[in-house]
Amino acid sequence: MEIQKFYYDNKIVRQFIWATIVWGVVGIIVGLLIALQLAFPVFNLDLSLTSFGRMRPLHTNAIIFAFVGNAIFAGVYYSLQKLLKTRMFNDTLSAINFWGWQLIILLAALSLTLGFTTGKEYAELEWPIDILIAIVWIVFGWNMIGTILVRRVKHIYAAIWWYLATFLGIAMLHVVNSFELPISLFKSYSIYAGAQDAVVQWWYGHNAVAFFLTTPFLGLMYYYLPKAVNRPIYSYKLSIIHFWSLIFLYMWAGPHHLLYQSLPEWAQALGTTFSVMLIAPSWGGMINGFLTLRGAWDKVRDSAALKFFVVALTAYGMATFEGPMMSLKNVNSITHFTDWTIAHVHIAGMGWNGGLTFGMLYWLIPVLFKTKLYSQKLANTHFWIATLAILLYAIPLYWSAVTQWLMWREYTPEGFLAYPNFMETLTQILPMYSIRIIGGTLFLIGFLLMVYNLVKTMTSGVCVANEAAEAPALEKLGPLNPRTETVHRWLERKGIQFSIVAFVVLAIGGAVQIIPMIFIKSNVPTLKTVTPYTPLELAGRDIYIREGCYTCHSQMVRPFRWETDRYGEYSKIGEFVYDHPYQWGSRRTGPDLGRAGNPVGPMYKNTSWHFNHFMDPQKMNEKSIMPKYAWLMVRGIDTSVIPRKIRAMQTLGVPYAEGYDAKALTDMEAQAKKIAEELKTAGIEVKPDREIIAIIAYIHKLGRDISPAAVPAPAATEKSNK
Amino acid sequence: MTTDKYNVTEEDPGYGDGPVMDIEDHEYDEIKELDNPPPGWIMAVFYLTIGISILYGAYYFWLRVGDQQEAEYAKSVEKARLKYQKEQPAGELTLLTDAASLAAGKDIYTAMNCATCHGQNAEGNVIGPNLTDNYWLHGCKFEEVFNLVKNGFPTKGMTAFKAQLPDEKIRQVASYVISLKGSNPTGGKAPQGDPCE
Ligand code: HEC
Ligand code: HEC
Repeated sequence: MEIQKFYYDNKIVRQFIWATIVWGVVGIIVGLLIALQLAFPVFNLDLSLTSFGRMRPLHTNAIIFAFVGNAIFAGVYYSLQKLLKTRMFNDTLSAINFWGWQLIILLAALSLTLGFTTGKEYAELEWPIDILIAIVWIVFGWNMIGTILVRRVKHIYAAIWWYLATFLGIAMLHVVNSFELPISLFKSYSIYAGAQDAVVQWWYGHNAVAFFLTTPFLGLMYYYLPKAVNRPIYSYKLSIIHFWSLIFLYMWAGPHHLLYQSLPEWAQALGTTFSVMLIAPSWGGMINGFLTLRGAWDKVRDSAALKFFVVALTAYGMATFEGPMMSLKNVNSITHFTDWTIAHVHIAGMGWNGGLTFGMLYWLIPVLFKTKLYSQKLANTHFWIATLAILLYAIPLYWSAVTQWLMWREYTPEGFLAYPNFMETLTQILPMYSIRIIGGTLFLIGFLLMVYNLVKTMTSGVCVANEAAEAPALEKLGPLNPRTETVHRWLERKGIQFSIVAFVVLAIGGAVQIIPMIFIKSNVPTLKTVTPYTPLELAGRDIYIREGCYTCHSQMVRPFRWETDRYGEYSKIGEFVYDHPYQWGSRRTGPDLGRAGNPVGPMYKNTSWHFNHFMDPQKMNEKSIMPKYAWLMVRGIDTSVIPRKIRAMQTLGVPYAEGYDAKALTDMEAQAKKIAEELKTAGIEVKPDREIIAIIAYIHKLGRDISPAAVPAPAATEKSNK
Repeated sequence: MTTDKYNVTEEDPGYGDGPVMDIEDHEYDEIKELDNPPPGWIMAVFYLTIGISILYGAYYFWLRVGDQQEAEYAKSVEKARLKYQKEQPAGELTLLTDAASLAAGKDIYTAMNCATCHGQNAEGNVIGPNLTDNYWLHGCKFEEVFNLVKNGFPTKGMTAFKAQLPDEKIRQVASYVISLKGSNPTGGKAPQGDPCE
């Protein structure tokens, strides 16, 4: 057998490690900033660029795509070469993957801060960046599959199955969810509307969690855990079973983000049942990890890397049990719209993704730099600080979730809401937000300790950019031989066939939900009274999206008495058919706005109230944590794009009359003038071309169309003074 | 244990409970893979959750025993109506003047944030009118004030409080507002509406 010489590319691994560290610090600092903003609104700095609605997407994107993304690439680029005994397929592709990804992150940070956003959670980036992501992601997959094809090892190991599923899953999710109609370089509209958009978005959102935060990390776990503890993987069979069941079932479970909302009941039931069925496949990974550690617990005591792996597996097990529980409709009524979900994702994010990344770095960097970890003691300190930080972060939020939920639904003995003023339920949980800040600060301190430790380690060793290695050439592989190998074993030596089978398995779950939602009319019953947005309201809606109001406000009244008493009639599917994109929200930090425009509902406020509130919410409610939006009074509505917006909406099927784009501006000015005059009677002088006029118009549209004819209550119309 | 498919050797590296099955040719970058069966309980959980899911589907969509969310909501509303009908006696709706009731009214004024629209001392602000003068937009009789707080005048910006406050509490806060007449707070807004009587 011929022994071949080759060189591992360590430089690309080192580059991704640095990116992981740098973006990790940035992402956590932004996280800390928004935690401060929720407890003390002064930290919004009264600037559009730094206000919560823009910083929150920056935080989630920075952590998920920048920190975790680079960690995935670092882990994959190292382990793939080792497992396949070859250099990465092509150095140029590796470089494009690295620099392309960093460029995406920079553009993302810039554009989110400036307010360029699609308004779809975790998919906020605008279309040019979406295209860039697709290109770089395909480069990553191409490089990976290329490497698989030039390998020197007969079979591809379990870790790589997960890497492949990651590549295929994200490619599919990203492309389908990003179908949008651009109207300019910085603005596009989702081609899906309302409930359809919601289904696609949460198919994406849920599976971004699966295929960006779960499958790649299971792959990393299958490589780095047995390496670090030097023990064999416990069960090959379990690997197979939980791999295929997990990637198949996950894709169905997205609607569990939309329970009790305006979604057909069958779709909700898929969300519930497929989440419940995911318990065992998810736990398969945890079990294989823990059983790999068995008999080696003495090593765990001494090694910070292993300790982080144990925390990661524990957090993973907790989160993947909690998730299915949150998918039960009755439990979901507590966890949805409250801080429960925030606690849940931080157990998973800080514990599982953080823990695994930290463990990997503590093991990998000494290996890569051929040295010893600078300080095991410091690493252990990091471990304890991080663990405490996770608890201090999550426990207050669980507490806050239950407290607020109980208050929302509490009735007096006479049958009235006990806390009809939303602010009372918010003030009650604000102390919890202060404790969370301590948790976040500790996590940052731990992270910085790690950075110091790792930098010291790196400077004490050398990383050989191109490390020489040798391995026997791969002998020719024959066709499937049913006498000597199982079909799966055969698949394991066929990279392309493996990918095709995985792709089909992945595609089913999405197709089953998305196709009927889009093509079967009965799934979206329309309402006659619902009319398209006027040009002014549309402009206001785009401001709502730009400012990220959906990060704090829902527009989705669920069919619970305690919600309809507080907000008004529950939301119907047909109300949202002109919503590109939908804006149902996922956390109710402020009250639901879905009925804010129903003039006979309990939520209605007049124009001058809204004006004063946007200028300074704390003047209206001393304890409000809503940012001030004074710049809406300064900025003018961008009228030049209005006709284009109307035409785009027409393309998407919104029934504006033929040629309405030419009339739109006149209509807009007339409506704006009316609102400005209304404000004038209250003594407020504001030019009708200001953005604040548009956003008030939009707020007054919400729920107006389904309000039972807007007639004032009779008692208030007559008077008998004289 | 041997099979034709794998050449499986039995060995115990001395750290496990029970035998550990090594599979030949399952070694990747020095990571070995063992051929242990998955723990029975996790497979049991898997089959159980599949069974539960099938029952769940049958319960709601095939047997149609379970209520879908709209039916569930309608039932809860009806149940509440029947329950609270008994507990919401019509009560007397007349002006209150005793100190305790007025104090209660003042608390409601604070708790319900009337001040954001009418000012801290009901002196009025850019949104709502002065409630302490002798001028009224919607009438100064007790029932008129009561009804206005209860049903609001949403198009003019006055919230309807009927969903949030029981009649008794509306009675207290309305009485409190009426008691403020002539209190002359600083910064009082210019009168709106017509004088009383
Ligand atoms: C940091 C979270 C946060 C953000 C971001 C936020 N809000 Fe709010 N909002 C709140 C809170 C809390 C309240 C309740 C207290 C109050 O009235 O200020 C509220 C209240 C409101 C109300 C009054 C609801 C009612 O009838 O009582 C409206 C309208 C509103 N917000 C609109 C917006 C719009 C539009 C945006 C985006 C430009 C926005 N909010 C951004 C937290 C937020
Ligand atoms: C969202 C702002 C808002 C809130 C909150 C509010 N009001 Fe009003 N209120 C108004 C406005 C605006 C008017 C004047 C309506 C008009 O112009 O016809 C008004 C009118 C009134 C009037 C009639 C005054 C007259 O001249 O006839 C009374 C009484 C009143 N409010 C009491 C209350 C009480 C009591 C509360 C708290 C339980 C309250 N309001 C909360 C905005 C508000």
